[in-house]
Amino acid sequence: MSSPDFSPVTVIGGGIAGATSAIALSRHGFPVTLIDEQPVAGGQIFRAPSPYARKIVPPNHEFSGGDTLRQKLAASNVDVRFSTRVWGLSPTLMLDLLGPDGINQLPAATLVVANGATERFLPFQGWTTPRIIGLAGASILMRNGGTLPGQSVVVAGSGPLLFSVAHQVLELGGRVVAIVDAGHRSDWLRLGAMLSLDPARLTQATSWMLRLKKAGIPIHHRAHISEAQETGTGLRLTVTEMDHPERRHVYATEAAACGYGLKPSTLITRTAGVQHRHDPVGGYLEPVTDTAGRTSRPDLYVTGDAAGIRGMAVARLRGLITAHAIAHDRGVISRDTYEALTRVPLRQRRRLEAVSRQMLPLMNAGSAIPAHLQDETIVCRCERVKAATLRSAIQAGAEDLNQLKAWTRCGMGPCQGRMCEDSARGLLAAACGKTPEEAGSFTARMPFFPLPLTAVTGDFTYSDIPLPKAAPL
Amino acid sequence: MTQALHTRPDVFDTVVVGAGVMGATTALFLARAGQKVALIDREDMFRAASGVNAGTLTLHMTRAQLIPHAIRGREMWLDSANWLGEDVGALATPGLSMAFTEAEEELLRQRARVRQEMGAPIEVLSAKETIRIEPGINPTLRAAAYCALDGHIPTYRVGGAYARALRQAGVTIIENSPVEGISPATGGGYEVRITGRAHPVRGHRIVLSTGAWLEKMLGWLGYDIPIRCLINQLVVTETLPPVMRSVLSIANGLLSLKQFANGSVLIGGGWQGEGNIHQGGTRVIPENLRGNVRLAQHVVPRLNEAQILRVWLGLESETPDAMPLIGALTPDEDAFVVGCIHSGFTSGPYMGRLLAERILGSDPDLGAFDPTRFSSLPATGTRP
Repeated sequence: MSSPDFSPVTVIGGGIAGATSAIALSRHGFPVTLIDEQPVAGGQIFRAPSPYARKIVPPNHEFSGGDTLRQKLAASNVDVRFSTRVWGLSPTLMLDLLGPDGINQLPAATLVVANGATERFLPFQGWTTPRIIGLAGASILMRNGGTLPGQSVVVAGSGPLLFSVAHQVLELGGRVVAIVDAGHRSDWLRLGAMLSLDPARLTQATSWMLRLKKAGIPIHHRAHISEAQETGTGLRLTVTEMDHPERRHVYATEAAACGYGLKPSTLITRTAGVQHRHDPVGGYLEPVTDTAGRTSRPDLYVTGDAAGIRGMAVARLRGLITAHAIAHDRGVISRDTYEALTRVPLRQRRRLEAVSRQMLPLMNAGSAIPAHLQDETIVCRCERVKAATLRSAIQAGAEDLNQLKAWTRCGMGPCQGRMCEDSARGLLAAACGKTPEEAGSFTARMPFFPLPLTAVTGDFTYSDIPLPKAAPL
Repeated sequence: MTQALHTRPDVFDTVVVGAGVMGATTALFLARAGQKVALIDREDMFRAASGVNAGTLTLHMTRAQLIPHAIRGREMWLDSANWLGEDVGALATPGLSMAFTEAEEELLRQRARVRQEMGAPIEVLSAKETIRIEPGINPTLRAAAYCALDGHIPTYRVGGAYARALRQAGVTIIENSPVEGISPATGGGYEVRITGRAHPVRGHRIVLSTGAWLEKMLGWLGYDIPIRCLINQLVVTETLPPVMRSVLSIANGLLSLKQFANGSVLIGGGWQGEGNIHQGGTRVIPENLRGNVRLAQHVVPRLNEAQILRVWLGLESETPDAMPLIGALTPDEDAFVVGCIHSGFTSGPYMGRLLAERILGSDPDLGAFDPTRFSSLPATGTRP
């Protein structure tokens, strides 16, 4: 064992994985800086509720788990920079940050990326109408804000979040008009059979399903919203069955929440240049990692859902294992100690991951939707790019996702393709007979989110600007 | 759209290497004149300088000697519906180049004079007159040079328009095909070897139009011309209410600022990033990002309301005398080059067309751009 190296570690993301990892790293004796975009830790699942939500949302595991995590973090030696976002980084792991005091840079000798997941969205005719929001956004609005997206809500898309959101609507006294799921009923039954491996999830799922059943809410499997129209009082939604497109159901509702599962957030890891792979089951790009979160680049680790969607219980275990692995890689603990510390977490994780993997095809159940988008449907909301525009560019020879972006502006707007990348890729792959991997991914660009221009310029006078020498006459 | 080359191909009349504005225009006019043309690119077409540049049509920032060409290039862009087959959205606007200090005003007047002599309709305006034209400009300016013939293009529309025109003209487009060698073929013409492909592409003649990658390829033909690669930074903002109508610049040429129809503002001017074209990867230099954006905010103070949406880098090539390379590389007139044109996006289509005309037998005046000017190879010597 070489002499221990206690140089600092930087963690991006104060969710379950990142905060757990930061606390464990700090206990191993590393100086740890944790960067989190929110004003308090917790990430998405353990996000701190507003005082109003705490009053009216029934107590739940997410509140208590989040409070415990925040207490542990506060009691640790971790230096936490809240309200701070990473807007870029260099290959040497120099981080560009935007915090309460403007922009600054932070060199990271060792970096743990735990920036979680992004919701996958797939468009339909009329989806940019007001009162249609994402499933994840709806969940935050209700659980952390105590506010319903509407008195009546159609919950649509795919994956377990469908039932969580439907349950939350009922909890706040709202009406679930219908649940529209792209997945097969048989896939849910298979998942149900596996839940014995994860008793906590089994209890939760059973109580949700009983309550939804009791409320008599219609559930459509292998179906999706194909069209939304604004009416005087809300929305008129057309639901189409995927295997029988002639079978349609029309619902009137105040609001709709729609999302098609989660995908790892990869802007940071792609910019850092680590190796990625396309996971065909999850239908997303993920950084290539080993069990402990090591990537193709030394000193850069990815943990939690940022390394592939496995859910919150696994995220905690992953964060812990990554922290122990860094301690081992730095010569702080021996191989034997590493194995002793990770034996139980690894065993628990294997059991829970078996369930998580079963959820991936359910989350990715909408993968065939982009191929059949109507020409008039907007794919890229930021730049107002329609499916027909994409198809005509593909016909002109744009057979790669970045060429498609270059010729149509799809993915060039403020969200940097977070909303449209999956549908543009699916449409392109179907049109050219390519796999999603062959169709490609948008090149990650800085800044990762719109950056106030004055944060870059600061206070200055004309003479402060280092004008380069004049161009040749 | 990449051509399968597993079978032995025919011999093309002309093989153009480098699918940007210049090479694609040459290929287009050769094909329309009846030639069998192949157009090769290391990536997808129009993904380097021609796809990522600022879309400025400018006489202020082009080399003074190239002003007649830039005027013709600008006219071609504005007339793209007629010769390219679709309107790429070029917009004619005035251009204003500004001076904020005494030294800049002197530079501005001197530069305006030289450009006027070369045919640019430029006049120097007072601060008051300038603000009447462009009310959003910083009122501390001293003077501005006004040019009626500037404008801009939404660059993203150009690649697809060329792709459709080239296909219609019958050009064989070979994308994602890095060229690893070019050599004379037995029996005349050239063999262009592509990485990962069994058979070379053969042509009776070749045209090199690979911009920043020209140095290496010219080397294969026996030319040792050092080509500097500029790594130009570009910044685009989120959409804003109208804050300017003209293309704005400053006296020393290190700013280009314009607002597109969708409301986004593009900030360029040739501030440098870092990187290496052969190993790949370019990066923003934070100090240069700050400098470029401060300059833009100084010129149009209302940009303090803007949000920076994206920063990227584009490559520009420059010869030792900063003048273009256009013309024949061999006395047999079977190898040609077009590239390294300052403000090349403005004059690119015109230069590409001139080279096509030259290849097809007419005699446009390309004397100042003769690629053999740097070389010890005699212009009338033997084939390399």
